[in-house]
Amino acid sequence: MANLLWLQGGACSGNTMSFLNAEEPSAVDLVTDFGINVLWHPSLGMELGDNLQKLLRACVSGEIALDIFAFEGTVVNAPDGTGDWNRFAGRPMKEWVRELANVAQFVVALGDCATWGGIPATAPNPTDSQGLQFLKRERGGFLGPDFTAKSGLPVINIPGCPAHPDWITQILVAVATGNAGEITLDEFQRPKTFFTSFTQTGCTRNMHFAYKVSAPEFGQRKGCLFYDLGCRGPMTHSPCNRILWNRQSSKTRAGMPCLGCTEPEFPFFDLEPGTVFKTQTVMGVPKDLPAGVDQAGYIKLTGAAKAAAPAWAEEDIFVV
Amino acid sequence: MVDETTTGASARSEYEDALRREIETKLRAGLDTEVEPRADTHERVQEIITRLRTSDGSLEVKLVIGGFTLEPIEHGGIEQACETCMYYLVHRKWCELPELDLPVEPQWSCRLWRI
Repeated sequence: MANLLWLQGGACSGNTMSFLNAEEPSAVDLVTDFGINVLWHPSLGMELGDNLQKLLRACVSGEIALDIFAFEGTVVNAPDGTGDWNRFAGRPMKEWVRELANVAQFVVALGDCATWGGIPATAPNPTDSQGLQFLKRERGGFLGPDFTAKSGLPVINIPGCPAHPDWITQILVAVATGNAGEITLDEFQRPKTFFTSFTQTGCTRNMHFAYKVSAPEFGQRKGCLFYDLGCRGPMTHSPCNRILWNRQSSKTRAGMPCLGCTEPEFPFFDLEPGTVFKTQTVMGVPKDLPAGVDQAGYIKLTGAAKAAAPAWAEEDIFVV
Repeated sequence: MVDETTTGASARSEYEDALRREIETKLRAGLDTEVEPRADTHERVQEIITRLRTSDGSLEVKLVIGGFTLEPIEHGGIEQACETCMYYLVHRKWCELPELDLPVEPQWSCRLWRI
């Protein structure tokens, strides 16, 4: 039996909604098949008021063993570092987070807000938000760069806006069943099993990427979304086209550009007007090129690929 | 029996060829297009696109605002020819940028070029 406590800071509940939609395994499977005891969760917890405070204090004191502390949302520090803009169970949430993280065997950050600040931490960051161990790309965050949970692991970051439900439940199961040792983390403390390949890996529009055929408008079945509509699939680490959403589809398969939501910089360009759904260019060349490709190589490849493009690549075609 | 699909495609191709020749004629006749400044930044791109969207959409206006030329323009060390532009359909010889939507030749150029 592994005790799981899930709290929510500055957030929209998107990761909770995602979690409740999990299928492999489902939220119910966690309890019935994998021995996870959900101590409390914002949408599932039964305790209120004093009873909840008692539960949280029992976790902090060690009376109740806290195996997994899952946190969704940012740590809110405003105003003036007090955290009073996000009070919970009688005190600033940030104080609960500090104390609970210090006693937990594992700490798991769920979604962009908890991992690196996400949309709330976008400039000018009015809520003075931080992720648990990062603020955007900068290591540190609320718990500091050297934090490790009692297991010895740093915060396990499962980013996304929201995180895919199965990324959440599969990591929780791995931790709860004693298989945390098999989780290897990348430089941003994301599980490599999910975040080594790219969103583009498995995208059904890859043939259009290869032949440099663009989708200049929404609603087109043909064409790659990278060249004009701002898709970040070629430089975003996620398995969105390997582990499909709702077992059916993905953003890019549905014609929606990847927004790069599993990367620390999300939302990119601080959401300045005109930067969303539009590929940013400098002298006609994309500012952000596919990972590992330089500008000279990109231009050569594009020229050659366009010249070699078959006629069918320019025609309307189902790509899902 | 007449293949209607082929007939339709053929008619479209003839129309597009005629339009392509008309564009070439206008440019050879010295139509003064806005070749510079090039759309180097996102803001400049948006400015040009906005002008196209709010124009009367006539052929000449598209050519002028787009800054069309009959030969590639080298800019920043990069040759900006239609044939390498992301909006260029190789087989149809067509610019599919919605605000232009014109037949072109591979060696033509415009200032909205992007790769």
